[in-house]
Amino acid sequence: MAQPLNGRTGSAAPGVAPTSLAARRESATPTSATRASLAHGLLPQVEPIVVDRAAGRLRRDGAALDGVVMWLADATRARMTVGGIEHHVLLTPLPDPKRSAQGVTRVEIVLDGWRFEVDLESEAHARLRARATGGNGAAAKGGPLELRAIIPGRVVSVDVADGDTVEAGTRLLVIEAMKMQNELRAPRGGTIGRVAVGPGDRVELGDLLLVVE
Amino acid sequence: MTGQADPVAMKTLPFQRVLIANRGEIAVRILRACRDLGLETVAVFSDADAGAAHVRLADQAVRLGASSPAASYLNMDAILAAASATGADAVHPGYGFLAERAEFARRVVADGLVFIGPTADAIEALGDKLRARRLARDAGVPVVPGTLEPAAIERPDEVAALVEEAETIGFPLLVKAAAGGGGRGMRRVELPRDLPAALVDGSHEAAGAFGDGRVYLEREIVPARHIEVQLLGDSAGRVIALGERDCSLQRRHQKLVEEAPAPGLGAGERRALHAMAVAIGEAAGLTNAATAEFLRSPDGSFHFLEVNTRLQVEHGVTELVTGVDIVREQLLLAAGRALSDEAIAGSRRAADGHAIEVRISAEDPGHDFAPTPGLIRRWAMPSGDGIRVDTAAAAGERVPPEYDNLLAKLMVHAPNRAAAIDRLARALDETGIAGIQTTVPFHRFVAGHAGFRAGDLSTGWVAEHWHGPATAIEAGRLALLAAGLASLDGPTVADATAEDRQAGLDRVAAGGKLASSGGWARAALEAGTDRWPSR
Repeated sequence: MAQPLNGRTGSAAPGVAPTSLAARRESATPTSATRASLAHGLLPQVEPIVVDRAAGRLRRDGAALDGVVMWLADATRARMTVGGIEHHVLLTPLPDPKRSAQGVTRVEIVLDGWRFEVDLESEAHARLRARATGGNGAAAKGGPLELRAIIPGRVVSVDVADGDTVEAGTRLLVIEAMKMQNELRAPRGGTIGRVAVGPGDRVELGDLLLVVE
Repeated sequence: MTGQADPVAMKTLPFQRVLIANRGEIAVRILRACRDLGLETVAVFSDADAGAAHVRLADQAVRLGASSPAASYLNMDAILAAASATGADAVHPGYGFLAERAEFARRVVADGLVFIGPTADAIEALGDKLRARRLARDAGVPVVPGTLEPAAIERPDEVAALVEEAETIGFPLLVKAAAGGGGRGMRRVELPRDLPAALVDGSHEAAGAFGDGRVYLEREIVPARHIEVQLLGDSAGRVIALGERDCSLQRRHQKLVEEAPAPGLGAGERRALHAMAVAIGEAAGLTNAATAEFLRSPDGSFHFLEVNTRLQVEHGVTELVTGVDIVREQLLLAAGRALSDEAIAGSRRAADGHAIEVRISAEDPGHDFAPTPGLIRRWAMPSGDGIRVDTAAAAGERVPPEYDNLLAKLMVHAPNRAAAIDRLARALDETGIAGIQTTVPFHRFVAGHAGFRAGDLSTGWVAEHWHGPATAIEAGRLALLAAGLASLDGPTVADATAEDRQAGLDRVAAGGKLASSGGWARAALEAGTDRWPSR
């Protein structure tokens, strides 16, 4: 049986009394918005999405996104139609108490076999954090730059120490994964503030490696 | 007990307990064939594989050592000691690791065990790519144009003569290692002046990889189709060709997709190809199972590449279209039996339908297929008619970084190639892997590609058609949409026009059943608990 939505786009759950839905909506602040961005600073070309929870709209770079429908089979599997094309989605929460304390929720999204880790946080919070760290991590000048592992593996060698001066392109360390050696080079010049790993250490995706001041 | 109803097993085989000197999906595959014949099984494992499927499924298991291949699956002493300790009387080497090391085959036999594979002499003769080329030429089989003797790179005065000889082969050409494959020791040379350096580089790499720095020259055939023939031989000297496979979709000489039969071959061509492969097998005194690889140039001619004296990863597609269990054949052939009636019939019949295999590996197709070891959080594989999955992976297991990263072989079988591709697309829709990146997005692309469907295959296909990074970026954008939508309750419609909105609401109101597409039932989320904290 159809449940009226009070004339707004957004979610409707048949069987849920309109009052409880309205109550949930009202508990969200009028400016409440969630930002979804790719974790670890990967694929910087992918712009964050802002979810306007109150209006039930998605925005990218301020522009509203249309033609998106998602059907959930359960809490972890979905099909999403965008522009008439259907995609398969797996959602897996990646809970972490430290992140939760920082107001960030991380989820794993597998879309048509492509695996991503997505960070969700309130838009207000995201703006605060960006101001504090001076921008989007790797692109920032001036603020300390955290370099994190983009592949899991084993640290083979560390070429710098705390206090060393480096230029853009200086080799910082080497991680070995499956017989391939991957060199991490300084994205910009600066001073090594902290070396967080040593030779022989195992690192997972996202682990902090060094901080460049 | 298994094997009781099997007429073969009723007559005693000369061995009763097989040690499988391998791991992962192929160890499980071999183990199953052994059990089907009523044979006992012994698994060997490294520390990284202590909880692996092949260990759990075997009757006995012996720890070899630490996780590195050298300490475990390449450790001949430890493997032979395990055989002795468990009373194993036969050894199956699988593929990779020690499968094509003649020394291992010799030691197995010297210890009084049966080696499930070709003889050590055949492994040695055909493992030397130059010897194999000369053997093929002597058997009257065309080889890829090139040299048949190792390049005399240690003689600087010979360089001019070498370059001159290379000119007759034609540039660009390939420097290849005589002692092994997989692209190691290989160099592509476009200009004559680059040849000397390429020979030295290739030789060094080959020496490091195979302990043998001999290299030779081959013309580069592009575009080429990689077509290989499955051979089976018995101790009476009879060799048959059990069909061919097309493995053209490769990347850096690693196969990604394979199919049987090879599309677009005429009956006469197919017969001629099989005959060439059999001629080589007979000339080499080949027994048990091996595969003869060829390149088919655009003019349709076949050129012999090499013989792999082992069971191949992609053997399953041949099994699907011939109805022959190749591992079972290997066991019976190793027991001294003649080629089975099924195998002989299979070699004479046309293929039954079409089969395609995609290799699901822990690699990132958006980053040049870089390995992605890690923890598998979710693992769902398709099943049903015409679907075969060979795997040892499971949810909750770690993909160790020490070994090759093949997770599963997803095979489909259907009455014809178009139906097989349709089935492949549907099967890939049913796969659900989370926790690590896999090659699934690449395979989805292949299954939906018009050129692939048309049979326009070549060894350059992947490089030409697959644009990993760009595809990954687009997928990243969609993934953010999905994450954003999921952070809201229930099904969500975010539409611009009033008509879209109403259509979406109508769909939602109808309980999520889309009349036109036949339905996607939305599970009841009436409890409506937020999965993500609301802000």
